[in-house]
Amino acid sequence: MKLVKYVAFLGILAVALVGCKKDFEEINTNPNAPVEAQPSLILRQVIYNTGEEMSYEGFVAGNLLSQHFTMVDFNLFDRHNLAQPQLGGNPWPILYQNLRDNEILLNKSRTSAAFEVYEGPALIFKAYLAGMLTDIYGDVPYFDAFNGKAGTTAPKYDSQMSIYTAEGGILDALKMGVEKVANYNGSFTLQGDVLYQGNLGAWEKFGNSLRLKYLLRSSSKLANEAELQSIVDGSNYLNSNAENAVFNFSNGQPNNFRMANLRDGDFNLYVMSQTSEELFTKYNDPRNELFFRPISNSPTGAIIYEGLLNGPDASSTSISIADYSLPGTIFREETGRLDANYMTAWETNFLLAEAAEKGMISGSAKAFYDLAVQQAFDYWEVQMPPNYLSRTPAAYGVDPLQQIAEQKWLANSINGYESWIEYRRTGFPVLKTVSASLNGDLIPSRMPYPTSEQALNADNYNVAAGNYGGNSVNAKMWWAD
Amino acid sequence: MQKILLLLATACCFLVSNAQQKVSGTVLDLSNTPIPGATVSEKGTWNGTTTNLNGTFSLNVESDTSTLIISFLGFQAQEINANSSGLNSIVLLESVNEIDEIIVTALGVERDKKNLGYAIQKIDSKELTEVKAVNFVDNLAAKVAGVTVSQGATGVGSTSKITIRGESSFTNNNPLFVVDGTPINNNTIVPFTTDAAAGFQEIDFGNGAMEVNPDDVESVSVLKGPSAAALYGTRAANGVILITTKSGKGKKGIGVSFNSTNTVETAFRLPQFQNTYGQGNSGEFEFVDGLGGGTNDNISYSWGPRTDGRLIPQFTSPTGGVRGGDVAVHGGSPISATPFLSYADNLKDFYKVGNTHSNNLVITNAFDGGDMRLSYTDLRSNSIIPGVNLDRKNLSARLKINATDRLKVSSSINYVNSQSDNRPSNGYGSENVNYSLVAWGPRSLDIAALKNYWQPGLEDVQQYSFNYTFFDNPYFILKENTNSFNRDRIFGNVMASFQLDEFWSLSLRSGMDYSTELRKFKRAFSTNRFQQGAYAEHQVGFRENNTDLLVNYNRKLGRITFDFSAGVNRLDQQASTVQTQTTQLAQPGVYSLTNAASPLQVFQVDGKKRINSAYGVAKFGYENYLFVDVTARNDWSSALATISSSENTSFFYPSASLSFVASNRFSLPERISFLKFRANVAQVGNDTDPYQTQGVFNAQTPVYGQPTVSEQSTIPNQNLQPEQTNSFETGFDFRMFNDRLIVDFTYYNALTKNQIISLPVSVTSGYSQQVINGGEVRSQGIEIILQSKLLKKKNFEWTSTFNFSRNVATVESLPQSDGRLTLGYSGVYDNTNQRVWFQVEEGGRVGDMYGTGYQKTAEGQFVVDDQGNFLADNDLQRLGNYNPDFILGISNRFQYKRWDANVLLDWRQGGVLVSRTQALAGVGGQLEETGNRPEGGIIVDGVVNQGTANNPVYVPNTTAISAESYYRQFYDRNHEENNTVNASYLKIREVAFGYTFPADKNTGIWKNIETLKISLIGRNLFAFSEVTHFDPEQIAVQGQQFVSGVEDMSYATSRSIGLKLGVNF
Repeated sequence: MKLVKYVAFLGILAVALVGCKKDFEEINTNPNAPVEAQPSLILRQVIYNTGEEMSYEGFVAGNLLSQHFTMVDFNLFDRHNLAQPQLGGNPWPILYQNLRDNEILLNKSRTSAAFEVYEGPALIFKAYLAGMLTDIYGDVPYFDAFNGKAGTTAPKYDSQMSIYTAEGGILDALKMGVEKVANYNGSFTLQGDVLYQGNLGAWEKFGNSLRLKYLLRSSSKLANEAELQSIVDGSNYLNSNAENAVFNFSNGQPNNFRMANLRDGDFNLYVMSQTSEELFTKYNDPRNELFFRPISNSPTGAIIYEGLLNGPDASSTSISIADYSLPGTIFREETGRLDANYMTAWETNFLLAEAAEKGMISGSAKAFYDLAVQQAFDYWEVQMPPNYLSRTPAAYGVDPLQQIAEQKWLANSINGYESWIEYRRTGFPVLKTVSASLNGDLIPSRMPYPTSEQALNADNYNVAAGNYGGNSVNAKMWWAD
Repeated sequence: MQKILLLLATACCFLVSNAQQKVSGTVLDLSNTPIPGATVSEKGTWNGTTTNLNGTFSLNVESDTSTLIISFLGFQAQEINANSSGLNSIVLLESVNEIDEIIVTALGVERDKKNLGYAIQKIDSKELTEVKAVNFVDNLAAKVAGVTVSQGATGVGSTSKITIRGESSFTNNNPLFVVDGTPINNNTIVPFTTDAAAGFQEIDFGNGAMEVNPDDVESVSVLKGPSAAALYGTRAANGVILITTKSGKGKKGIGVSFNSTNTVETAFRLPQFQNTYGQGNSGEFEFVDGLGGGTNDNISYSWGPRTDGRLIPQFTSPTGGVRGGDVAVHGGSPISATPFLSYADNLKDFYKVGNTHSNNLVITNAFDGGDMRLSYTDLRSNSIIPGVNLDRKNLSARLKINATDRLKVSSSINYVNSQSDNRPSNGYGSENVNYSLVAWGPRSLDIAALKNYWQPGLEDVQQYSFNYTFFDNPYFILKENTNSFNRDRIFGNVMASFQLDEFWSLSLRSGMDYSTELRKFKRAFSTNRFQQGAYAEHQVGFRENNTDLLVNYNRKLGRITFDFSAGVNRLDQQASTVQTQTTQLAQPGVYSLTNAASPLQVFQVDGKKRINSAYGVAKFGYENYLFVDVTARNDWSSALATISSSENTSFFYPSASLSFVASNRFSLPERISFLKFRANVAQVGNDTDPYQTQGVFNAQTPVYGQPTVSEQSTIPNQNLQPEQTNSFETGFDFRMFNDRLIVDFTYYNALTKNQIISLPVSVTSGYSQQVINGGEVRSQGIEIILQSKLLKKKNFEWTSTFNFSRNVATVESLPQSDGRLTLGYSGVYDNTNQRVWFQVEEGGRVGDMYGTGYQKTAEGQFVVDDQGNFLADNDLQRLGNYNPDFILGISNRFQYKRWDANVLLDWRQGGVLVSRTQALAGVGGQLEETGNRPEGGIIVDGVVNQGTANNPVYVPNTTAISAESYYRQFYDRNHEENNTVNASYLKIREVAFGYTFPADKNTGIWKNIETLKISLIGRNLFAFSEVTHFDPEQIAVQGQQFVSGVEDMSYATSRSIGLKLGVNF
């Protein structure tokens, strides 16, 4: 029967041609990138990316809030409409992406004995990222966060207090992280460590310095004296600049400071602020020559550093940037001299000076302060003027808490949002009311949640924003309440 | 299914029917050419056969008094007695009314349109080639009801976006293009971009289907709904554009034809500028170094002094023998002051007159055993944008050979080479010349002075410009910073069909679309984003193979015709793209990867996919008035497999359609010449891109040469289901007065569910996107085709055709429980607030756009602060929907003796656009609207709240703010609301006016010429629109995506006018 023949013929050909779903698994396996990654590659990424991004954030946004710089145009952010930054000004996705990658690293370290060495550093770095995050925004998704793969795509917001104090929070993670690093007795080395090249002892010190920072920051709410004292007694924190947690930028791409790659116009939007001018003048501090260039429009040809009051209304004032000091060559032409700053000995010693001054720890506040100031000059490779520490206004003791805060501020350029965070905690240095404020002449005390949260995590956002008076930038941090 | 089996069984019984008397004959057309495949049936019985290749048949009939019915598509059926002596030359007359009605349907099967139970519309070659557009897709605009075409923003060579019946999928609404039975790709591959403020910007290298050569196209069938397209499987949910190329069939012997189209192009719609104020800020300006060294010379707003000829040092002003802007040469020496003037036509003068030449030579040969056609087309187009061009060569060969009576072999091969010296950059940023020309091009800018774009003695090293902060000299960008490409492509197929016996036939077709392309991006030293230059090579490869095996059983038995087909298909797709770049060069002017001064960056993505399919179609016809089609298809897609399982990869979908030709069944009033009702239901599945089921770690910036990785930002989905569209469609075809009035109406209602969406998710989850199944979108619409021969006199004929369509896609449910679903966003710059959000909510429409605006009262008045300033409202609000309310194409054709004319209008009503040009050039004080700058400032038309937030007391605002402050706030790019415009337009899309010379065989030079026609043609001649600053027909390229509803720093489109000459030998 012909029909049968044809049908059989067709059937054989059909099966040969189609073969249904043979090889499908292989065909749909992505050849472009690995499904699993070595922990060293992730650690290197998390450390470098955080430092690179947050240093850039520090330049383009953090330094505006802390009034190191002012921005002459496209400056709604500098006028304190923080929802409308021009460059940067949105650390939210940076921190969450790195928290996510760091979490992957942490999970790997806990599931394979060969990777256990990464657990301590991952815990310390988690706390470091979480600290930046909550101190910029306040309540944020944390305990349910960076867990999208397990199904939580709209995590709830956690209170800043719980992020500091709860199990798995900043203080707990730092403590555990330091212990893990100290107690690690396996034979595997920490790879991908661009901070310390696998030196676990240095990680212990980095962790302890961060503990000092977050214990002090929360000391208005928590009785942290004993813990602070025990860290001081152990003396196992960042003591010298050689131990600093820093990443040295290169001069050329791709590991140079990002401002070197931007357009002239972007760089030239930033000039010395009046706050900077006054503080550097007050201390007669030579570091301004590193951080700024003399004005190009000097009438007599003399070297002049000139700052501009933050937050000008560019549409009603005519600003000639030739009349103001642009940021120094270290930020553009010579970024090989610049470091991404994660934590330093000088910052640690400023913290200890404050703690000692407040009587939270034993020891000489002045000794800590003097060491910190010296280390801060060394860090920026600027010779500290003779008698700098023995003459007013830097000589310790006139108004010690203000001096500590101001000296820290002078050295704390492009360190993410740290200078502004410390201002919100200490009130120093006294910042200026910006020229054309879009925030009722108030200095903002938190960054607003980004618009994307309103769109993508609406229910949780609404609760959290409601707690801050409708996502108000003037709501206070828990530790500053 | 049972019914089908029953029918099959019935059919089989007749395979063994007995017959008593044998008759034979030959069927011919008027020119005595045999007609193969004509149906011969014995009247009143199930008995029948078809003619062979020589037009002959033989049939056993009951008795010699039987009547035979001879019929063939496109011819009038004829009855003849079985004992007639005329059997040896039965001449069929062409059926005049129905000749247009043969239409190519799915699988390339030619069918009579009246048999079809679904909407399908045909465009013939004349309509396509009369006023040819360079992008093939543009030729379809306004000619098919339900088809929307939007052209791209970067001139000749840009992508045009086409959708059929609007957008019902959240992600993929691209129709499938099929040429001679083989799918071709219509992809747009955008290069890799990294940073918004540094690095390369988006460049549009065009869409795949743009390369189809209209001169080679015989007809285009647009299969609009899932029912028409279901046999094409997973990619058919959005409709199919079925292209049939010309073959050599026709008059025997060699035929030669040549046609040449030559047009000139001018800028179509340019922004309207103010010309009273020039560069600067707060009324002040003086050029020193273009970097802020002078007074506001780092600013390119036009908030400067009046352009009244006052003397001001400018970048064109002399200093020490060079120009003021030659900053690196004159070293800061004082610049003389020269008159400060406006250059009202500076943008108009920047655009040149473009030209396009397309020459097509065709050789055909029809011979006894088959036919062939060879066609070569050379297209050269120089854009109105200086330095931008497109050259394309299409070589096409079509061959049909009847190897034996039973075996036919045919091939259709197209080779295309496209290349351009420069494709301009898209989007927001300094690589797009509109950045320095329009948005931030001050009105006092003498653009002509920029033509000499190097600083003297610093050629290849330092450009000369009016401003060195953010901007590049536009001529420098277009001449030095080029984005060239060269693409070779072959698409086509080889097919063999074998007639097993009089009922059974088998065909095997294997086709391929293969392309390889090299793009080179050069950036000279002193480019703002690349101070030390840059160079990138982008290699793009694509290959798709399709092999089909199809078996067909075809029989006519008395009143019933059967046609069963079953087939299998394998699709293999392979795409690769590798971009290698350096962002610092060692030596200026040398563009080679070996001249890199920074580590090479490599971006590479390869993708592979296979779909196996089995399908079947059964067609039944009863007499000449009732027709039923049933189809079924099963696909197995590798894209739904995970790396460890290929479960869940199979999906099945059926369709059924019915056509009832009432006018053939009932006797209707004489003025009704034709009436048909049709209805169909269909289901189509749709898979997804490869690698959505498994996540990976992507390489990131290396640290001192050491590698880094970060997990991908998309959450994969191991349990992906195929998308599914269920559709219902019905309509009628109604003709009156001997077909002088034709109304074709279609209503459809389709529900697309289980959509595969890459959904943005809160980055707090650690990821920014998630691949999910979910959401239901109902797409409903109507299409009306109205054609009338308004006048039909001896020498004069006027035909009007209206193609009307309206589509509304409503979101019925979302994958989440409440709120809005964000499908994507379009951003200017790296700033979350400067985004247009594409969001949908339940009950909302696909295409809704959200953004921010200024605070308003419930009555819609602006609320301003006590200083008279607008107050930002950062809550997202609906800006509008980018889809039109309806589209209407109107074609008017006139024929008077040897003269003919055609005017095609394209009306798109409704929809909004968010305009970056308006936002930025508004803030920059360039636009005409910002020219009114009263001394005393401007009072915002709004109210001030003197009460509290909860108990507002509004009083009219009386505080003026400076004009500059007013406009800068009003058009602020952070607030899309004031930059949203009505996108409606009515365009004169095509105009043609032609004369066909009489062929006079007796005159010398005409001797060998059969026809000669000359036409005056025009395209995009005029638009009525509320939009004054740019062409309202817009799409934007952002990242790897095409975005509707956003005008993103677009270039002027072009108006073209020219001459076309066509000659046949």
